[in-house]
Amino acid sequence: MGRPGAVIEVDRNTPPVMFHFGEGVRLEKLPLGSRIVYPPDPLEPIAHPERAVKRALAKPLEDDPLKSLLRRGMKLTIAFDDLSLPLPPMAAPDVRQLVMEQVIDMAAEAGVEDIHLIAALGLHRRMTADEVRHIVGDRIFATFWPDRLYQHDGEDPEANVYIGKTSQGEEVTLHKRAAESDLVIYVNLTLVPMDGGHKSMATGLASFRSIRAHHNAKTLLASRSYMNPPDSALHHSCARQGQLIEDTVRVFHIETTVNNHAFPAIANFMQKRETDWTPQDQAMFLAMKQMTDIAPPAFKRNVFHAMRAPYGMTAVNAGQVDAVHEKTLEAVRNQIAVTVEGQTDIVTLGVPYLGPYNVNAPMNPILVACMGLGYLFNFYRGKPVLRKGGVLVLTHPCRYEFDSVQHPSYIDYFDEVLADTTDPIEIEKKYELRFAEDPWFRQLYRKSHAYHGIHPHYAWIWAAHAMDHAGDIIIVGGERDVVHRLGFKCATTLEDAFEMAEQTVGRHPSVTHLRMPPIMLCDVE
Amino acid sequence: MPWYSGDGGLLKLTGAVGSVVTDVSRVRRGWRWSSPRPHTWPERGAVVPAPATDLGWARVEPVRTIRFLLQRGLLMPFTEVMAHPKVEGRELINELERPVIFAANHSSHADTSLVLHALPDRARERTVVAAAADYWFKRPLLGNVVSLFLNTFPFSRTGGAQGQLHSSSMLLKSGWNLVLFPEGSRSPDGRIQEFKPGVGHLANETGTPVVPLHIRGAHRIMPKGQKLPLPGAARVRIGKPMTREPKEGSREFTARIEKAVRALSEDAPQPDLQGSWIERWNASKPRDLPYD
Repeated sequence: MGRPGAVIEVDRNTPPVMFHFGEGVRLEKLPLGSRIVYPPDPLEPIAHPERAVKRALAKPLEDDPLKSLLRRGMKLTIAFDDLSLPLPPMAAPDVRQLVMEQVIDMAAEAGVEDIHLIAALGLHRRMTADEVRHIVGDRIFATFWPDRLYQHDGEDPEANVYIGKTSQGEEVTLHKRAAESDLVIYVNLTLVPMDGGHKSMATGLASFRSIRAHHNAKTLLASRSYMNPPDSALHHSCARQGQLIEDTVRVFHIETTVNNHAFPAIANFMQKRETDWTPQDQAMFLAMKQMTDIAPPAFKRNVFHAMRAPYGMTAVNAGQVDAVHEKTLEAVRNQIAVTVEGQTDIVTLGVPYLGPYNVNAPMNPILVACMGLGYLFNFYRGKPVLRKGGVLVLTHPCRYEFDSVQHPSYIDYFDEVLADTTDPIEIEKKYELRFAEDPWFRQLYRKSHAYHGIHPHYAWIWAAHAMDHAGDIIIVGGERDVVHRLGFKCATTLEDAFEMAEQTVGRHPSVTHLRMPPIMLCDVE
Repeated sequence: MPWYSGDGGLLKLTGAVGSVVTDVSRVRRGWRWSSPRPHTWPERGAVVPAPATDLGWARVEPVRTIRFLLQRGLLMPFTEVMAHPKVEGRELINELERPVIFAANHSSHADTSLVLHALPDRARERTVVAAAADYWFKRPLLGNVVSLFLNTFPFSRTGGAQGQLHSSSMLLKSGWNLVLFPEGSRSPDGRIQEFKPGVGHLANETGTPVVPLHIRGAHRIMPKGQKLPLPGAARVRIGKPMTREPKEGSREFTARIEKAVRALSEDAPQPDLQGSWIERWNASKPRDLPYD
């Protein structure tokens, strides 16, 4: 049993704390009396994951055993999450591979001839063949790619069908193959409470028409936070859509969770609390710091993106979606929940090199906002760690750096839209359809490896709640012009940032540093 | 003094190094050398280079002998060790009567070595490789060294068809085989890209047969953007020489060549893996499952 998460108060003997700084790291001394919140240690993984999967499929929750659902002559579709999860990508074998191999074994035994595997990527980018291979494994790839193993295309008019409206008027579309199947098996990996459940099908196999129902500024602003589904308007909307999907097609959900062992041995110091650092950890830190200070961004990126996380499976549940997801959320919370007492005037966060939308690409400024304000800020339950009107301090180099293959629409969004306004609601009114329906972005999404044209907007509104909540947002170490374009303030050092923050929160503010990743969920009392 | 006290020791040293690095970084950013350019933009300075030389020196003695030794002593063994290339269809080009164009898919810098490795000795010694002028010959030293090893010549990707035609057709007429990568640049994901019509045009104008080749596995050895090769298995499959049909245009011929290369990429049905997916799946089952 690993140690639970911890909140420590900085005193004279507290070592400095490591801040993620994009493709780099910083070591900072926090003011005396500040709090540092650490995630729990990784839970012990299941010793025999294959056996656990077998058990879950044989004894599903509120559903029949999978074997009894498979029969000769049926149309079977297996959908699975794309590479946006987990982060960093998991060292092979991916847990989805372990699950899918057993499902396919059962389908083969039952003589199911008509089987398709679809990467449920929603409006994310198409993966390369190697990326798909990494998720599904060599055996599945060799057997099914590319005819029966392929990726969802939310813009293919032939491949998506409209299946109706929810009670709240949200339109729902679904991948045609899934809609026409006798059984859809969804294989999920839940890393954070936002993932999984009804959201898997409602976003993964949907089109823009369907996704815009909940991916909008109004819904996101009403999600406090979307890392806690009961308080999330986003999840309520997905649940309504998901219910409609479940009424249309028979779905069998398989959800897995992993521990938070996010960094391989070479970067073990990132996994550990600073108080636990050994001389080797200190040496590794110094070596990495010097390397990242000197090396060009492309080199650092290659090094960082080559890292594979030694995650271990902590739970696998199968069956009816709500029953399964409840268990999944419980397992996730066991791993990442930390109790934090009270809110604070200033919250500091180190933004790492990787978020869900920049696997094998640089984290562009919009994604920095998405990661820092969207994801990291929202890792709370109850209320944010930052008090309303407080100051959020992020560390990231925040360069004008875009991957034109993966993020072409992000470039236009940054150059044109954010130059006009940074208000998510106003942007939505003026630019949503322009980006969503742009034929060139659509073409790149369908045929290249680009995120959908609307995706930068989604990344931006992901930060809407934090922007609304915080009195000021300061990015330490960012490029001044870029940070100003985002509507934030820029500081050179953390001390400068605290100095600037005093103008908003007054003298002697309380400071809390959230030492992520590895990720954690703050239960704020 | 604890290492983290901030008053000296390692942190002070780190600070000193860090300040130098900060200065260097500031200068670097001042000229914005690292400012990103979308990949779709041409590289800076990617203008059509003047055809200063067609590297004729690389095709005369004693350079040919030196190259023979370099290829036999270094390049071929290195390729063998790194890729264990499997060559299929070599018998189709053992007895070439006249120069041909080898048209192959392109996903890696390893492609050229693999093609040369796949050719019979006689054909290899009389083969030149078309290398992108705006990439390989931007730096003269690099271009010449590469030419010494691989017998490359500058092939303009951005100039007009006539310019390409002239130098290439001169080589074909003087008895050299030509290796061309009709996709124009390396595939970013290993899949075959659309062929540019230059290959059909060149073959039509010179009446040269085209030999389609398909290279598999090179992308895993050295994908675009990777500086050093990684070991991996590769396969080169050689097709039958193709000639232009009467009244066939350049684009039609190019399309036929592309189709031939794509056809070579498909695996012939293997007796042990024939049948439905279930049979293939069961045939690929690992013998000992770790959890049994």
